[in-house]
Amino acid sequence: MDMVSMGLLAAMGALATIAGTSEDLESDVGSQSNPNSQVQLAAQVGHTHRIYNKAISGEPPSNALYAALAAVTASVLMSDVYGMNAFFSIAVGALVAAVFNGILSMTSYMGRNASQARFDQYIYLDVLRSHTTTIMAHAYITAFCVVAISYIMTAPWLPIQHPFPLPVIAFIWGLALGAIGSSTGDVHYGAERQFQQYPFGAGLNAANSGDIVTKGEAGLRSSIDNAWFCAKFGGPVTGLAFGLIVFLDNWRTTVFDPATQGWYAVLIGILIVILLNIGNRLLEIRAKKMYGPYPEYAGEIKA
Amino acid sequence: MSTFDATTLVYVFQIIIGGLLVGVGVHFVPVGGAPAAMAQATGVGTGTVQLATGSGLTGLISAGLMMSVAPDNMLLIVMSGAVGAMIMINVTMLVGNWSYVYAVGVPPVSGKVDYDPITKDPQPPYIAPGTVGHGVPTVSYVSGTIGGLMGGAGGSLIYYALMNINGISGLSAFFAIGIFVVNAVIASYNIQGTIEGFHDPKFKRLPKAIQSCFVATLIIGIFAVLIHGGV
Repeated sequence: MDMVSMGLLAAMGALATIAGTSEDLESDVGSQSNPNSQVQLAAQVGHTHRIYNKAISGEPPSNALYAALAAVTASVLMSDVYGMNAFFSIAVGALVAAVFNGILSMTSYMGRNASQARFDQYIYLDVLRSHTTTIMAHAYITAFCVVAISYIMTAPWLPIQHPFPLPVIAFIWGLALGAIGSSTGDVHYGAERQFQQYPFGAGLNAANSGDIVTKGEAGLRSSIDNAWFCAKFGGPVTGLAFGLIVFLDNWRTTVFDPATQGWYAVLIGILIVILLNIGNRLLEIRAKKMYGPYPEYAGEIKA
Repeated sequence: MSTFDATTLVYVFQIIIGGLLVGVGVHFVPVGGAPAAMAQATGVGTGTVQLATGSGLTGLISAGLMMSVAPDNMLLIVMSGAVGAMIMINVTMLVGNWSYVYAVGVPPVSGKVDYDPITKDPQPPYIAPGTVGHGVPTVSYVSGTIGGLMGGAGGSLIYYALMNINGISGLSAFFAIGIFVVNAVIASYNIQGTIEGFHDPKFKRLPKAIQSCFVATLIIGIFAVLIHGGV
């Protein structure tokens, strides 16, 4: 382990944290991923809304696409043919990914809302104008950070040498990031923000499906309001999750040289896994003690 | 131009074992799909294939790095992949639980069993009305860890076999991703997209998944070896 590798590892962790946060907020502005089912349902149960609705695909495949697209563009620009500086190559790559995201988002929003015309759901052009750019901006940050992490892992002049080519690493990290974003931060948007009119401390009752909040603090609620709310918890925890994964996964092989101390890297990984399992158990005990059983419960099993 | 000999069969065999590990591993991963994102069902709020692939491929990054420095140590490569996948899925489940506990205000609880098989904690009193559980309770968390282990190990084994044939890491990684996803999707069909873990009654459908994953991976494995071997 040398100081340069450790510094690069810290930079990767920081970049991953930013990428995670912006990825989750991007999906919140666009209502991508699982909470989209409720936005989709809302118009059908009589709640027309001004929420952006872009279920392009699951978050992992779409993020893998943006990251890989940015990485391919960056590696072409960095190649001997063009010889562009790495920083600017990644910036241009991320721009291409953001433009792609914008095109897919717009067509997705228009297609989805047009198909719901029979439920009186309109296509709002002002929503399209203001939200698509917000989505693209977040997608740009995500793609830039993911490709930067991948570049640090693969650049021939840096100490960390991964055998996979830049686009493959970016593809994998993009996919993992999408999986994390849809597993962690989206819960804050789907279970809390969309159903704020119901008391805190319960999941969505199946009977209330589609009854999402459509009115905002002032006027009608837009998806940018949702990103503002989710930036307080859902976004940062997603960032923390991706940052932890990138950091812990690479920290093991930075501290222990994989060539000579490979088994130590594996053992320390197993130790981390055991600690995380204990951490989850403690969280479960704490949550049950904090909230207690539901007063509506009338079964025979005692808490 | 390579010939079809005993070593080739070993590679096909390794790919099949890897594919089966992925297929079985997916059954352990606790995912509740879209309802889980609304804290309406137990498990992580995403799709089975998405989470399993995310973790398995994170493991592939660890395995790829290990293979570049210790190409002959199969066990070390496979274990590196397994540990990488376990870390990814564990952190995701833990942070997911933070969201359930602190952002939604629900304790992690299983809707499929009355008592957690590991901790013996009663479950029904903690299930919010109108839902079938929420969050990732201990039994699902442990199950997810096992799923990550199997998925990561399976993906790494496929990568190891392909790397031994062609020695090109990028190509092998992408083929490994493809074989991984095929098996993950087959397993996902088997559990209809959601499962709480090994305590879920759907877990009993496992033998069917093993059969289908075996057939699918056998065909893909033969073609993968032939394509990579340059026949």
